[in-house]
Amino acid sequence: MKKLTGLVAASAVAALALTACSNGSASSAASSNSPADNSKKTITLWLAGGDTPDELRTYLKDTFKAKTGATLAIEEQSWGDLLTKLTTSLPDAENTPDVVELGNTQAPTFTNVGAFSDVSDMYEELGGSKLLPSFVEAGSVDGKRFALPYYFGSRYMFVRKDIWSSAGVATPKTLDEFNAAVSTIATKNPRSIKNFSGFFIGGQDWRNGISWIFANGGDLAKKQDGQWVSTLSDPNSLKGLAQLQAIYKTASKAPADAKDQSPWLYINDSDAITDDKGAVTGKTSLAAATIMAPGWAHWSIGDLKTVDGKATRVWNPKTFGTLVLPGNDGKPAPVFAGGSNIGISATSKNQDLSRELLRIIFSADYQKKLGGAGLGPANSDYVSSLGTDEFAAALVASASNSKLTPAAPGWAAVESAQLMEEFFGKIRDAADLSALATEYDAKITPLLNQK
Amino acid sequence: MTVSTAAGSKPVPAAAARHETPRRPSGNSGDVAESRRRSPRVPLLLLVPSVVILLAALGYPVAWQLVTSFRKFGLRQQFGQPPEWVGLENYKNLLTDPSLWAVVVRSVVFCVVVAFLTVAVGGLLALLMQRVTRAARIILQVSLLLAWAMPVVAAMTVWIWIVDWRRGLLNWVLVHLGFEAAEGHNWLAQPLSFFVVAGVIVVWMSVPFVALSVYAGLTQVSDEVLEAAQLDGASWWQRLRYVILPLIAPVISIVLLLQLIWDLRVFTQIKMLQDAGGVANETNLLGTFIYQLGTGKGDFGMSSAVSVVMLGLTVALSWHYVRSLMKEEAS
Repeated sequence: MKKLTGLVAASAVAALALTACSNGSASSAASSNSPADNSKKTITLWLAGGDTPDELRTYLKDTFKAKTGATLAIEEQSWGDLLTKLTTSLPDAENTPDVVELGNTQAPTFTNVGAFSDVSDMYEELGGSKLLPSFVEAGSVDGKRFALPYYFGSRYMFVRKDIWSSAGVATPKTLDEFNAAVSTIATKNPRSIKNFSGFFIGGQDWRNGISWIFANGGDLAKKQDGQWVSTLSDPNSLKGLAQLQAIYKTASKAPADAKDQSPWLYINDSDAITDDKGAVTGKTSLAAATIMAPGWAHWSIGDLKTVDGKATRVWNPKTFGTLVLPGNDGKPAPVFAGGSNIGISATSKNQDLSRELLRIIFSADYQKKLGGAGLGPANSDYVSSLGTDEFAAALVASASNSKLTPAAPGWAAVESAQLMEEFFGKIRDAADLSALATEYDAKITPLLNQK
Repeated sequence: MTVSTAAGSKPVPAAAARHETPRRPSGNSGDVAESRRRSPRVPLLLLVPSVVILLAALGYPVAWQLVTSFRKFGLRQQFGQPPEWVGLENYKNLLTDPSLWAVVVRSVVFCVVVAFLTVAVGGLLALLMQRVTRAARIILQVSLLLAWAMPVVAAMTVWIWIVDWRRGLLNWVLVHLGFEAAEGHNWLAQPLSFFVVAGVIVVWMSVPFVALSVYAGLTQVSDEVLEAAQLDGASWWQRLRYVILPLIAPVISIVLLLQLIWDLRVFTQIKMLQDAGGVANETNLLGTFIYQLGTGKGDFGMSSAVSVVMLGLTVALSWHYVRSLMKEEAS
């Protein structure tokens, strides 16, 4: 009996202890230092999310092997865990990935604490001033280049042409016209769909919502006397927020806490619900005439068809269209420039091989492949590789005036504290918008200047 | 999360110790003197491995946490810069910060309500299991086990589907029952309904453990005692209140203690619901608050300080129970 309980206790302790040790060691560098023999070496590249297609990953691995003899291991990290994983892995020389992709707005946080190696000396070689300036800026500290642009994306509108025309609304040429148009569509609701949105934008969807701040000349934060200050309550920002509030109230039926996940659900018909006599029984599925999303969302929009035995959305230009959000000055409105930066971990033991990988990534070949996959290439020389279709045109036009979130060292902290989600979620029902904005300025400013 | 593990493991040795009440190897009575002489050393030696493992697995993180809580330790320090010793400054900032107190109050209320609810529902299910037929009981037990064995993330995914504002089962059922207003209602947007949803999920996940433990306790209540009480004219309620409950009180109290500790450190459920909707800063409990401070904002000093406060809170909450458990041991 005593033995048994002892055994049980021991295994309980062992089980508890097991949960405590989590990370085993990842691939560590081989010991050989001679440049001639790399065959036993492996470097690790972290890609964020599934944005880089498999074909490009294979290209990187094969080219890297051919050029250096070493092996390239690509590990995909999910966007949600990326900050955490970078924070814990980058400082640890034994476990650090050698090269990492990270969100452009996350870059300043890590460049400011010295997480990346200085690549200023190879900046010219990799593209120099041809590289997307706003992204280069996000990855630089005091003129030194740490993280370089990987690819860019941009956001534009996807519209239901059929509903826009049956509501009798013309394509807007200015932001004011757009604001009025989506509200008209919601009011007219030509198909009598319950809870129909002229423009579906989630309450917490700040990444799209900030376009209205930018388009009215406002900004999220500015640098004043060496300190970052949140500027949501500046007059221009407030002007944009007031327009957004009107949209939330009159044009969008999205819940106040909806984020920017898969908005295309709302502008697709659900073919499955239509019965075979052609009667539409599935009205509930279509719920919006307009959404705003990153360009790659077009793969998820269209008629539901079966292609190679798989249910696939096929873009139907008769029903669907793209629209670049117009500004009031004739240019496209500044939208949030999505995209990634890429850098070499400062603690990596394979600095030379990592640099070699950057050379491959910034080569004409790979840049064109990025464009071919619909990702905006970092080097402006190769933007034409995006093609000439409607999506490429919309991507290039909307990106031409796009903006980044503030390059403040603490911006990632603002994002992970979900303060922007919270603030935007409260806009619709705010009686005093300016007081709300001031309240959140006071919460955001201390975070912007990193500890 | 080390803190909670430390606290969570406490009852285990206590429970195990209960069975170790003096049960000397009976037999050779001539050895008694010798065994008495030998015994103080051998048990201590046998304890060494578990103490070493405990120290390595729990002591180190807790010590690191304590030290860090007295330091200014941000992302810069994580990337190698020397941390600055700030003494009690983190605690001072923390204890004067109203948002911490809001989180503490929220966590304690949530934990107490959910823990008691879990024990109540679990207890009732145990009573039910005792009364139904064998087949029904096995079905009940299997379903309880299935719910218990379900990985948290998988279960949460399904729960999030259920409460989804647009295509969720809950709204669909409500609309079909005639509550038109439920169409498109978002349950996660308001903190109160957020916590009701979270509470239901946490209760659902922990009820099986309580139900099965209490059921095990109930099987130990002898029929003779109940029959005697019945003969004396005790009603069903009186038998439950004055005979059964006192007999299974030890089981109930340890189960309640475990629930309190588990529900205080609830993390995954809250985090996933926050990711699905809701306003993070108004729905934070201690677990998500620490996570947000540490890995989110990169302020490891402050988040360690909150963890230490949470450890203190766990000890304070469970103090009474641990003490009464120890008294029981002694008697």
